[in-house]
Amino acid sequence: MPYSLYLPGNSWLHRLHPLTKLAFSLAAAVIIFAGPGEWLSAALPGLLAMLLLWRAGLAWHVASVSFRLLALLSCVLFLVHGFFNPHNQTILLALGPFAIGVEGLAFAALVVLRLAATLFASLLLVVATHPAHLVQALAEARLPYGLAYLLGSPLLLLPQIARRVQAIRDAQQARGLETQGSLLQRARALFPLAAPLIFSALVDVEERSLALEVRGFSAHHPKTSLKELADTPPQRLARWVMLLLAGLLFIAGVWSRTYGGR
Amino acid sequence: MAVVEVQGLSYTYPGADSPALKDISFQVEAGQLLAVIGANGAGKSSLCLALAGLIPTLFHGQMQGAVTVCGLDTRQHHPGQFAGRVGLVLQNPANQLSGMRYTVYEEVAFGLENLGTPRQEMPARIENALQQVGLAGLGERSPYTLSGGQQQRLALASILAMQPNVLVLDEPTAMLDPQGSQALFTIIYKLARAGTTVIIAEHHLEWIASFADRVIALAEGSLFLDGAPGEVLSSPRLLQAGIGWLRYTRAAHLGQDRGVWPVNRALPVTLNQAVKGFQTAQLYLPGQEQDHADPD
Amino acid sequence: MSLNEQLKKDFSTLTLALMAVAIVLNIVLGQLVSLLKLPIFLDSIGTVLVALLAGPWAGGLTGLLTNLIWGLISDPVAVAFAPVAMIIGIVAGLCAKYGLFKKWWQAILSGAIITVALSFVAIPIRVYMFGGVTGSGADFVVAYLLATGKDLFSAVLITVISNNLIDKVVTALLAWGIVKGLHQRFTARFPRASAVTE
Repeated sequence: MPYSLYLPGNSWLHRLHPLTKLAFSLAAAVIIFAGPGEWLSAALPGLLAMLLLWRAGLAWHVASVSFRLLALLSCVLFLVHGFFNPHNQTILLALGPFAIGVEGLAFAALVVLRLAATLFASLLLVVATHPAHLVQALAEARLPYGLAYLLGSPLLLLPQIARRVQAIRDAQQARGLETQGSLLQRARALFPLAAPLIFSALVDVEERSLALEVRGFSAHHPKTSLKELADTPPQRLARWVMLLLAGLLFIAGVWSRTYGGR
Repeated sequence: MAVVEVQGLSYTYPGADSPALKDISFQVEAGQLLAVIGANGAGKSSLCLALAGLIPTLFHGQMQGAVTVCGLDTRQHHPGQFAGRVGLVLQNPANQLSGMRYTVYEEVAFGLENLGTPRQEMPARIENALQQVGLAGLGERSPYTLSGGQQQRLALASILAMQPNVLVLDEPTAMLDPQGSQALFTIIYKLARAGTTVIIAEHHLEWIASFADRVIALAEGSLFLDGAPGEVLSSPRLLQAGIGWLRYTRAAHLGQDRGVWPVNRALPVTLNQAVKGFQTAQLYLPGQEQDHADPD
Repeated sequence: MSLNEQLKKDFSTLTLALMAVAIVLNIVLGQLVSLLKLPIFLDSIGTVLVALLAGPWAGGLTGLLTNLIWGLISDPVAVAFAPVAMIIGIVAGLCAKYGLFKKWWQAILSGAIITVALSFVAIPIRVYMFGGVTGSGADFVVAYLLATGKDLFSAVLITVISNNLIDKVVTALLAWGIVKGLHQRFTARFPRASAVTE
């Protein structure tokens, strides 16, 4: 699928119910950023996610995606905080007028660890779940139908409108509009690209909504579904356990920060 | 009882200077194929929306008169209650995709899911609908990889699966190429012959002449002609309304002055009628007596 | 009008269709602009459009969902900034509601207000989750400010405001212009749009 991180497959992770994976990602994110003991709370969920992904054969893919997403940010973090973090006291290395401080590096390392761990946990959901199934799972969990539409339909609309952008760009470039050059030239190139796109997209909105109405979108019937998503009682239990654990660790984290006196 | 009853329908969009529809009245019996013709802006689309129960509830303008479809008054029922009774197919194929389904099969299921159709019934209805529009083998394809004509047929299938009593189509071939148009027209005709009540707004006068049971003509929101295709499509009032005539009609009309078309013979609206009429005419000069024409 | 009725009115099928398209516009225009390497993002144009046509809650939800969806399909890091996108929609809608989107200069003012409002949310997220850094050119500014002795919070404050001010003003102006330019038959179907079009 273009425009998506989803990797089709049949691993045990793929076969888990989408809400189970979602619960894991959410619980992990909460624990990573708000749990007690900064390094441990960040590292453990991340390692767990990696372990689960490794068992499903997805670890390498997730690691490479995470690297691509975080590499630049991590470098900048280490540089900026290594040199300029206000809490820098212990000098590791001096380079002329600038010095790299240990505290800054440690701070950067913690941020990177948290981001990486959260990314592993969220990619566990995203890489192993088809977006349509996630939306269906949410709709079955009685998410308002309109919300399910808003989560699902942009995913399919996106390639369509992106193609239109390309067509408009090609047409404008054929008419000699600059897309390189000075700032002013590029700024002036924006309007003839953006305006037709926005207007044409908005014109379609009315017809789209009528087509939805005619297919019973706003009918007051309870809705049925063509296919069922596989769910099991152990998964349901696991979801509640994870969310409960996250809640408890969140409270513990707040407690330790308020009264830990560091 | 008529399946569709329109009585004195007038409608003005909010903020508009003049009404889009003025005092329109007509009825449609079950199983009829009714064509609606008119120049652009004459009110065809507004009429289609009114027949599908979307006007006035969604558009909030001012409406007088009544539209009753399958026994339901459109002023008193929400569009959701018309879904499954009235189907509406619009012009732009891509805009009619729900945007929530990744395969053709699931796209057709969308309407059924909204109506609360039991899961066991869905496969038969979906496959039947895909069969009717000629997309039977494409169930697993993504709707976004289909051609315009195929997408329009998918839109029709999605509506057919809901088994509406009345099918309304608003210029469904406007964005299709000739082959796509022809394919769609063939399907619509088959549906009508099988007993579906069809109301179609179109510009393709030739198809309408051959296949419609009845034609109504709109101009500036008013209905000014209502009758059989032969009558309506050869009426001189079409010319004034900016709708125009078919070429055969025009040729025969010109031919009347030149003795190539019998003066007391009805103007043709199909190729067959034209050929027969031209064959029986005998060249004559004004003032001379005519031989009796072939009783055809 | 009860809450449920108000919700149904604010989130009619037409509004939902608009929001879906707006979410896509946010993503697509954001990409287009970054291709052109301009100092703006324009990735909340859809959010503000929805806010002007359908009110603050629809606008806020559009922003929130844009980031969630972008996180789902391309970069989960975007999810962290979903609250920021939501604030943009809510504040734009409130500005429109209180008559601050009628004239072009009001749109500029609203853009500034939006910038200030989003900073309240963006700065803590940036500082606490990302160490104040974005992986973009703005980080040079942050580095410079840190080197001159400012604390992280102030450094990020200055960068966030200066980064967003131009973008939000341009976005607000553009959205205002578009709503004004829309066909009356379309805007008439959005009750809240009258705050801008009249």
